[in-house]
Amino acid sequence: MIYMIEDTINGILMGSIYGLTALGLTIIFGVLKVINFAHGSLLMVGMYAAYWAVALTGLHPYLTLVLVVPVMFVFGYYLQDIVIQPIFRAEKNVREPITVIIVTTGVWYILDNLTLLVFGPHYRTIQVNPLRGRMLEIGGLMISVPKLWGFVSAMVAAAAVYVFLQRTRMGRAIRATSLDRDAASLMGINPYKVYNVAFGIGTATAGIAAVTLVPFYNVFPTVGVLFDIKGFIIVVLGGLGSIGGAILGGIIIGLIESVGPQFMTATWTEAIVYGLFLLVLFVKPAGLFGVKYDW
Amino acid sequence: MKPEKINRIALVLLSAAALGLPLVVRSATYLHILVLLYFYAYLTTCWNLVGGFAGVLPLGHAAFVGIGAYTSTILSLQYGVSPWLGMIVGGLLAAGVGILIGLPTFKLRGAYFALATIAFSEGLRVMVENIDRLGPFTINGPRGLQIPPLDTGLTNFMFAGKEPYYYSILVMLAGVLFLTYRISRSKLGYALNAGGEEPEAAMALGIDVARTKLIAMALSSFLTALAGTFYAQFTLYIHPKSIISLDLSFEIAFIALIGGRGSIAGPVLGALLLRPVSDFSRIYFGDTLPGMHLIIFGVVLILVMNFQPRGLQEPLTRLYQKVVNRLFHWGALEAAR
Repeated sequence: MIYMIEDTINGILMGSIYGLTALGLTIIFGVLKVINFAHGSLLMVGMYAAYWAVALTGLHPYLTLVLVVPVMFVFGYYLQDIVIQPIFRAEKNVREPITVIIVTTGVWYILDNLTLLVFGPHYRTIQVNPLRGRMLEIGGLMISVPKLWGFVSAMVAAAAVYVFLQRTRMGRAIRATSLDRDAASLMGINPYKVYNVAFGIGTATAGIAAVTLVPFYNVFPTVGVLFDIKGFIIVVLGGLGSIGGAILGGIIIGLIESVGPQFMTATWTEAIVYGLFLLVLFVKPAGLFGVKYDW
Repeated sequence: MKPEKINRIALVLLSAAALGLPLVVRSATYLHILVLLYFYAYLTTCWNLVGGFAGVLPLGHAAFVGIGAYTSTILSLQYGVSPWLGMIVGGLLAAGVGILIGLPTFKLRGAYFALATIAFSEGLRVMVENIDRLGPFTINGPRGLQIPPLDTGLTNFMFAGKEPYYYSILVMLAGVLFLTYRISRSKLGYALNAGGEEPEAAMALGIDVARTKLIAMALSSFLTALAGTFYAQFTLYIHPKSIISLDLSFEIAFIALIGGRGSIAGPVLGALLLRPVSDFSRIYFGDTLPGMHLIIFGVVLILVMNFQPRGLQEPLTRLYQKVVNRLFHWGALEAAR
């Protein structure tokens, strides 16, 4: 019984981190109407950034947030501005241009393999790590401290993005563009600027996820692919474009992965996740918590 | 000479060259590379039926390759059924699965279909990796299935040399190209194109867009599974990680998009341009620069999408037309003289 509770808590914590990795995916889809296949690679870039920041300066892993998040925002902003935007301009009249999806796939391949070329295939873990293996004991329950911080940062990040979208001028512009690009541009909003900002925010949240992952996860060139596929499943489960849905979808996946092995071989949980995904897609494609519209 | 006649002569010359190539290329390595090139051209042409004409983005075609390969291999290894028959069974199975995926997702926005195909293919890989025996069939989980090269011969679809494989895949490729050509000039082809470009307008014309897409999907998955059987018989070893892999699915899509989706020549052209890049960069840079060919793919993909969204076949077709016109005028001048 105690294991069951421990697994459940662990599942919720890890799941919220999955949700955090998928948060950017849902933000970018909500505005650009494009699945960003490079999202896992952006997470990977963030993880390398955090890893090197810790390895070179010996900072506390969480302090690298001040460095990684702005760098990732700028990276995402200009990635969209320079690489993706020209394709959008070329296909102005298509609501969900396939060519843009394909370009993000190209970005994925380039980033992953460039990293492989430069840093090699080795698994890296940070050496100066005050959080390694730290456990919190509450009434006999062992809870991983870095995962607990991951949970906290997922909640804070989701809330912050939500408030930003609801309360600020830029947030309103983003929501307007998401609802109707043409009407928004008639109101004097530059949709391409909004795309850049939305992509930057999505990438920055991937940076937050990267920083919370680095203290307890290996860093390697294809680490993004694991989270990429999970991210797709999470955002469809939660409803494409829904911020709360991304976190809840992540928690569902986390729970299946950590409680599932109590009842079956661990590798089967992965098959269950795909099965659930297809089921939701076929029965309720708007997602479990999805809104009918994208936002 | 009329342009049609020039076209026909070019086609005959091309076929003759393809048929005669094994007489010139004697090295087994190069023949192997050529067979794989045709294999990819075939897969991409099948992909093009859905990804090109129907205007959606399937990213899990490796699942159908896997279904074809596993069905025929299991039937021939464990029940002594000829792979030719197993090929058809695998194809029908794949067509059923294709319809099952398409049925709910073709009504949704494009992104859902792409994600569903990925999820299905990855889910299938995980299942195959975890199942050793499924009822009366041995699947052998992550270890895969090996085909002992015992009885070579046409009925067993197994040959000692590479040449018979070369001609088998060449015939398959020619067949699927001819089929694509016929479809593109049929009512189904026009309906697919219309539904892919402007679904609302097509529906207003009375085209059942979802149904035409389903037909294309069934056809595409059927044909893709046939190539799976070919691959199993060619390499005599299949295992889930290599055959039901996302890399294969994405490579097919990349070749189609760079070559030019929605055109007949595009997939073949894409395979002709990209396969050598990946083969030779793997041979020469495999140790020193791992993943080099994937970086090249990515860069080429982004550049092509930027400057030639219809693929590389467009400028090349234009060039070819120009040459044909030149020849035509020159011929007319000669005749007048």
